[in-house]
Amino acid sequence: MLRKAICLVCLALPASLWAVMPPAHDHAAMTSGQVSMQQPREWTAYPLLKPRMSGSNRTNQVITVVPQNIVTALFDAYSNNLQEADAHRQLPMEMAGARLDKPATEGFHLLTAREEQADKVRVASTVHFFGERGAKNPTAMFMLQKNELEIIPQPYPREHSRYRANGAWQFLVRFNGQPLANQKVVLETSNDSRQEFLTDAEGKVAVRIPDDFRPVAEQAQGAGHDHGMRRGADLVLAVERAEAGKTYLTAFNSSYGPDAFDGRSLGWGLGFTLLGMLGAAPLLRRKQKAEAAPVAADDKKEEV
Amino acid sequence: MLKTLFPTLGRFRFTVQIIMLFVTVYGGALLGSYTVDRISQALPSLSCAYDKMTGDHCILIVNQHQLHHRVGEALANAKDITLKVFIPTLMSVGIFFMFFFFLNKAFCGWVCPLGTVQELLRKIGLFFNRPLHQFDPGNVGRVRPVKWMMLLVLVLGLPLLAGMGVASNELGDPFCQVCPSRIVTTLLTADTEQIAVRTGTNINFFLGALGNAMFGFMIIAALAVRQPFCRICPLLSWNALFQKLSPMKLVKVDAHEKCAKCGVCENACPMDIHEIGTEFGRKAFHEDCTLCGRCAEYCPDDGVIQIKFFGIPLFKSSRDYYKARVKHESPEGAPKKRVIPILPKPASN
Repeated sequence: MLRKAICLVCLALPASLWAVMPPAHDHAAMTSGQVSMQQPREWTAYPLLKPRMSGSNRTNQVITVVPQNIVTALFDAYSNNLQEADAHRQLPMEMAGARLDKPATEGFHLLTAREEQADKVRVASTVHFFGERGAKNPTAMFMLQKNELEIIPQPYPREHSRYRANGAWQFLVRFNGQPLANQKVVLETSNDSRQEFLTDAEGKVAVRIPDDFRPVAEQAQGAGHDHGMRRGADLVLAVERAEAGKTYLTAFNSSYGPDAFDGRSLGWGLGFTLLGMLGAAPLLRRKQKAEAAPVAADDKKEEV
Repeated sequence: MLKTLFPTLGRFRFTVQIIMLFVTVYGGALLGSYTVDRISQALPSLSCAYDKMTGDHCILIVNQHQLHHRVGEALANAKDITLKVFIPTLMSVGIFFMFFFFLNKAFCGWVCPLGTVQELLRKIGLFFNRPLHQFDPGNVGRVRPVKWMMLLVLVLGLPLLAGMGVASNELGDPFCQVCPSRIVTTLLTADTEQIAVRTGTNINFFLGALGNAMFGFMIIAALAVRQPFCRICPLLSWNALFQKLSPMKLVKVDAHEKCAKCGVCENACPMDIHEIGTEFGRKAFHEDCTLCGRCAEYCPDDGVIQIKFFGIPLFKSSRDYYKARVKHESPEGAPKKRVIPILPKPASN
């Protein structure tokens, strides 16, 4: 067993020599709707907020919140550290978007933008996670009322997780702080899917994200360790409601990944597991001569 | 009351292990999804970040990511090697050792979910009357360096090289990719994703194949060998670095007049630490010790082996306790009156 273990470890080392040098991934990007600095494709008419990351590494990283399908001069950023002075920041719109500086406490940030024209109120919202250390529970931040009509993730994927195709995720829809029963919720994705859901009596809706990724034959060689999350698309949930002569439209957008088994093989996994099991199987053999000895050994110990 | 509920140290430890198994594997589901972010790095045990219900993240994934994304990248950029880079890494290691400082390696023997699962598997092996393979001192000596290699190569070396751009980014968390706990704890939550091998690149596939083979080997080996993976676990070596500094210690008093070197404590040790039977003082508290306390339970001499916290004995061996204990369970872990086959030595003609 020792020799096998040493061989296995030694084999892992030369694997590094296969290396090319791909760009590193960013954990914060996994759970937020971040995109690279490229022109976005119009895939929905609902309002979106897209946190864009620029900079070559963490120390010079800049997050710019870019609005789509919504006109606003000011963004609201709520931190999960509610007791801090800058728990609620207002970010002015600049040339490319609103700059979101990383606070010392990092963690989850709910970003919203609001456009109000005559009798129409449009709200865009998303979550950005500064994922360099464990964050405080963001539930209280999510539950804080920020607009009339809201879509609240329950829960939002924590670090090392993200929205994924074929997964069901729960959201709360409420108006003026009260849950909205039987409210239509529309899901649209950048992979051109559209689905509708209805909230239950408690205003909650379980949204099953469709597996609408196109099959990819092979992942690019050496494109970074990715936790199975490299491929991604965008989704938006939207609710509309007319109340007291006004119409409200609120959207919540995020990124999502393909099905958990995308780029994985259960067959190979079970095969190698079985191989390991077979390797250990001889340990289970029991020889006839072994039977009697231990009883005597135990009795002897009792006599010590 | 406590005596009735926990008549032995072993029963008490098993209860703690089961509770911690639920906390570490299902804690997020029980205490809230984000609990994991608060407890993470605090419990030095293999509670896997890939488990979507876990209440804690294993320190090793944090270590690998910090070396990969912070230290490695900073070294590559040279100009950014600042306290801003190193402080978070030092903090996570510091938090780990702060918790570890008080409970020492009891995290291995009392909290780690993979350790508990291996003990449960051994109980299943006993139920089916499978033999017990014990390691002789020579074999133990050959296995012991592997855990240090695992730490240096898989937890520290490759992630650092990946961060510096010398190795592929896929080697940013190589230990997690081969750790059996990743598969065990996710399977315990009915999640089969992690047992499926990633096929995207050769490195992914190689690490996945290695991890699954180790997982399969461990599952079967644990039926006949006590704690097979613990012996090569890098957390054991990580913990060992500061083992002697903790106020929680295993103490074997230098009492030649008492210790008869009967070897019962050696048989009771699930890690086959022979030094507990032959050595005294600091040498008896070996780096492989997980503070499970079985040696103290099965020592038939009064006060020879003790678990102490700040010098205060929490548990110490006693002849009466030993007599009562051995009536129900043998030092090797079998319920009394069940035969544990000991493998015969090769026959000589």
